[in-house]
Amino acid sequence: MEFSRRKLLMALVASAFVAACGKSAEPKPADNAAAPAAPAATETRTYVVGTDAAYAPFEFENEKKEVQGFDIDVLSAIAEKAGIQVKFVNTPWEGIFATLDQGDRDIVISAVTITDERKQSMDFTEPYFEARQLIAVGKGVTDIKTFNDLKGKKVGVQTGTTGDEVVQKLLGKTSEDIKRFESTPLAMKELESGGVQAVVADNGVVINYLQNNANAGLSLIEDNQSFSPEFYGIAVKKGNAELLGKLNEGLKAIKADGTYDKIYAKWFGEKKAG
Amino acid sequence: MDFRWAMIIEYMPLFINGLKMTLMITLIAVFFGTLIGLLMGMARLADAKHGAQRYLLRFGVRLPAAAYVTFFRGTPLFVQILLIHFALMPMLVHPVDGLLIAGDSARELRQNYGAFLSGLLALTLNAGAYITEIFRAGIQSIDKGQMEAARSLGMSYGQAMKEIIIPQAFRRMLPPLGNEAIMLLKDSSLVSAIGLAELAFAARTVAGVYSRYWEPYLTISFLYLGLTLLLAWGVAALEKKYQMKSR
Repeated sequence: MEFSRRKLLMALVASAFVAACGKSAEPKPADNAAAPAAPAATETRTYVVGTDAAYAPFEFENEKKEVQGFDIDVLSAIAEKAGIQVKFVNTPWEGIFATLDQGDRDIVISAVTITDERKQSMDFTEPYFEARQLIAVGKGVTDIKTFNDLKGKKVGVQTGTTGDEVVQKLLGKTSEDIKRFESTPLAMKELESGGVQAVVADNGVVINYLQNNANAGLSLIEDNQSFSPEFYGIAVKKGNAELLGKLNEGLKAIKADGTYDKIYAKWFGEKKAG
Repeated sequence: MDFRWAMIIEYMPLFINGLKMTLMITLIAVFFGTLIGLLMGMARLADAKHGAQRYLLRFGVRLPAAAYVTFFRGTPLFVQILLIHFALMPMLVHPVDGLLIAGDSARELRQNYGAFLSGLLALTLNAGAYITEIFRAGIQSIDKGQMEAARSLGMSYGQAMKEIIIPQAFRRMLPPLGNEAIMLLKDSSLVSAIGLAELAFAARTVAGVYSRYWEPYLTISFLYLGLTLLLAWGVAALEKKYQMKSR
């Protein structure tokens, strides 16, 4: 008698637990299902923007855990002109494009280079920044002058970036000399501690890192012959022509009225021509 | 759902080398971790009944062992790996001001084996902490009568441990040790974060290039499963070997 009562009590507690878990899980999917249905109706929908905030000066987190940077300012200005609301969410770089497909994010602005492969799975706005790959080398390294000199050396990159792509083309896709990291600052740290001899990454980020870590003894190699210019674009889910149109309009507007130049000067100093 | 297995074939060398690296780093870490576990496990039980030896053993041997176990069980392995690779190792092995190794050999070491050594150190220390507790449990589970009988026959503490207690305890520790080895195999995937070219690194590379997740991650899931089954079979074979024949 006693034993079966105890079993009954345990069964009740267990089922109550499961019911509670089930209940808290249900309202969320219902909400998510409702929200995408609503946007066509309301103008005040907030678009969720994914950005990997470990890429100063384009996007980074300040002490107050707020996402800041060149990309943030540009998109905020565009959103204002286009009459939409945006909310920035720090999203890890590995898998950031998948969030567009799955609907976790509506827009991705994260210093994303426009490439033909990427165009197959997402749509880009017009370019909003021109960049190039840059090589950073460690203290006392004198035998690296061009991109080709990287053959036979250990090179650090951030996984899945155009830097990764370009180094794979030079050294081979499965080369053991390529060390991949989750973020460019980690790759730069590896460079500082001597684990790799060079890092290939976007010029904006490398220059910013060197400025903030002047006593690390790193130096830059520019090789404009080996690296072609790259263009950053704002990405939206493939086929989302409405949002893309709004963003392109906004981009055109901020370029025309000088807002873009102001933002550029704030983060990069020199005046940019168009 | 269309699977594009071509991308796996394209990066096959990364997966094969990754498989070898994962197995290698796991086995080496388990081996050294077991050695650490044996020493620390006994250290945690070190005691004396009378005299100054008591305090020496309690504070000089037991306490450090307990501190080691507490730290490495109490912090995430991921954090340990990053800490060791980006903070500890550069302090010890640096071309300019390394405390242990400096100069050109430091550079050579860091470039060719840096991530491997950091990962191995982190995994070994972490495994050592858990295995310490496994050894302690194994030793404590042996009847006190065994130690008493051994001592009454004239054996020293060390001899009793070596000839009587540990061999019996070992049989009891095999299942949890096997568990630990399997856990370590899977936890070794975290070492991909410091750039070691093991199995998870291969999957992340392919996912980074193609933005596709089914193919690479499904592939390494099966490879990890295969390795785990291999380990489990090895442990089962060991258990059978040490089974008590009289029962």
